[in-house]
Amino acid sequence: MSEYKGSREAFVAAMTDLADKDPRVVFVSADSLKAARATNFAEKYPDRYFEAGIAEQNAVAMAAGLAACGLKPYVVTYGGFITMRACEQLRTFCAYTDLDVTFGGLNGGMIGGEREGVTHQALEDIGIVRTIPGVKVFAPADAAETYALAKAAGSLKGPVYFRLGSGREPDVFSPGTEVELGKLRKVLDYGNDVLLLSSGFVLDRVLKAAELLKAGGIGASVVEVHSLKPLDADGVVRELERCQVAVTIEDHTVIGGLGSAIAELAAERCPCRIQRLGIQDVFPESGPANTLADKYGLSPQAIADTARALAAGKGR
Amino acid sequence: MSQEIRKIEELARTIRRDIVEMVYLAKDGHPGPALSITDIVASLYGSLLRVNPSDPEWEGRDRFILSKGHACPAVYSALARRGFFSPELLPSLRALDSLLQGHPVMKKTPGIDMTSGSLGNGLSIGVGMALASGYTKKNFDVFVIMGDGELQEGIVWEGALSAFKYKLGRLIVFVDHNGWQSGASCNDVGGCVSVKSRFEAFGWHCQEIDGHDISAILQAVKNARAETNLPSVIIAETVKGKGVPFMENDNSWHKRVPSKEQYEEAMKILGGC
Repeated sequence: MSEYKGSREAFVAAMTDLADKDPRVVFVSADSLKAARATNFAEKYPDRYFEAGIAEQNAVAMAAGLAACGLKPYVVTYGGFITMRACEQLRTFCAYTDLDVTFGGLNGGMIGGEREGVTHQALEDIGIVRTIPGVKVFAPADAAETYALAKAAGSLKGPVYFRLGSGREPDVFSPGTEVELGKLRKVLDYGNDVLLLSSGFVLDRVLKAAELLKAGGIGASVVEVHSLKPLDADGVVRELERCQVAVTIEDHTVIGGLGSAIAELAAERCPCRIQRLGIQDVFPESGPANTLADKYGLSPQAIADTARALAAGKGR
Repeated sequence: MSQEIRKIEELARTIRRDIVEMVYLAKDGHPGPALSITDIVASLYGSLLRVNPSDPEWEGRDRFILSKGHACPAVYSALARRGFFSPELLPSLRALDSLLQGHPVMKKTPGIDMTSGSLGNGLSIGVGMALASGYTKKNFDVFVIMGDGELQEGIVWEGALSAFKYKLGRLIVFVDHNGWQSGASCNDVGGCVSVKSRFEAFGWHCQEIDGHDISAILQAVKNARAETNLPSVIIAETVKGKGVPFMENDNSWHKRVPSKEQYEEAMKILGGC
């Protein structure tokens, strides 16, 4: 099995494994070779590494051209630059054209780009790509899941956006973990007092919150949503109906990401109380990942407090 | 005059008639920009492009991107006349359920290699295609037609740099240099730096030709194909609205529908009725 540490290495390890078996897999960089941890790929396959320079629109447009000629390009660079600077190239030339382009968006979230600050923190990426028809959107929870998801997604058709992180994410799952692409993953089931829906690299915090709740006599279920689009709608509805109240937790603006996706679905199929935790429509700042996440409302205690209040209000 | 050139000139006349008729019947579209590129498009589809109308997806075909997608009536006509689809479809331009969208869409129209219409993007996409040509060893050429106005988009120069870096001799870009864009003259809107000097600064193989002279177009592409180590730009001096005297160099025809009288006059000039 491939060796990797963190989501960036895991993603490129999966890409390299796919490339070993499929000569159509190529890599497009926007001076992001090192950031993507893809140096080994470029050394192994120098004729499959295309460098667009610090020019994300160019990188994504080039990828569209490569894909239109039957190749399967992977574009890996900072998620904010893919989804904002090159948004139109992604939308019009990769999605509208339904081409096999896979995007790896680095620095997903506040703690994904914690050292650099807001310019390098992709806070809105999922909200942006989720609005574009035909794009599949995945936000894995750690390195092992990134690897498993990226391997599984290799057989998908059409454009795919992966949200990756800093490469320093805490491990939650064991190496070799399996994943059912596009389905919810029940991670913990301490009861149906409250449902905790987690997406991305905050799952460790959510699991700690569930332990805090348990210690206080509240049984929470923790469900991990790695696929924002397509959303496992039946799975979410089943869990919402079981618990009746839910907290969504994500390292993304609460507008457009997991919280929005769940609330949209719930409004149509099973109206219930949902509290959305994430970046509360503000620009955060740089700082150590853990204290940063705590300051902006994603501490296990804050998650537990929100869940406890919701559970206490059930039925009222 | 060679038979090949006569054949291309006749195709160009047909395309011009189709453009005027399509825009007239659709009551919408961009006749001026389409007439401007007609002789280049006729040269491509009448001679230069290695394509197979009965197998539009043939992997070894030359690729063509109309970066200035709004000029698509010219290309739709050329595709139809070359046999990619029936000319009877041409009047459905911009209609609901039509194969012929307001701007080119690769998954809808046989023979369209890339969706386009959002200006400036064709060159970078062409870079990707030319890289694929080399990597897959299919060794097809990639042609792009750009407007001079869309050279104002920054991504053009990102792609131009990459094309030079990767020595993409199989990338051949026409600049339809008619001097006009939607709002006014390119110089007034975007500034007045010569197109040639810009591409020369990026290391490209540059040629300037009369964009309505078929033999000059054919020769320029021959020269460009012979230059295997550099991307080529062919700066085609053109007249917006070429072929319909009352449309020529009148920028109101950038996007405008002819009246019945104007339509009949244009068709008469173009030998259509």
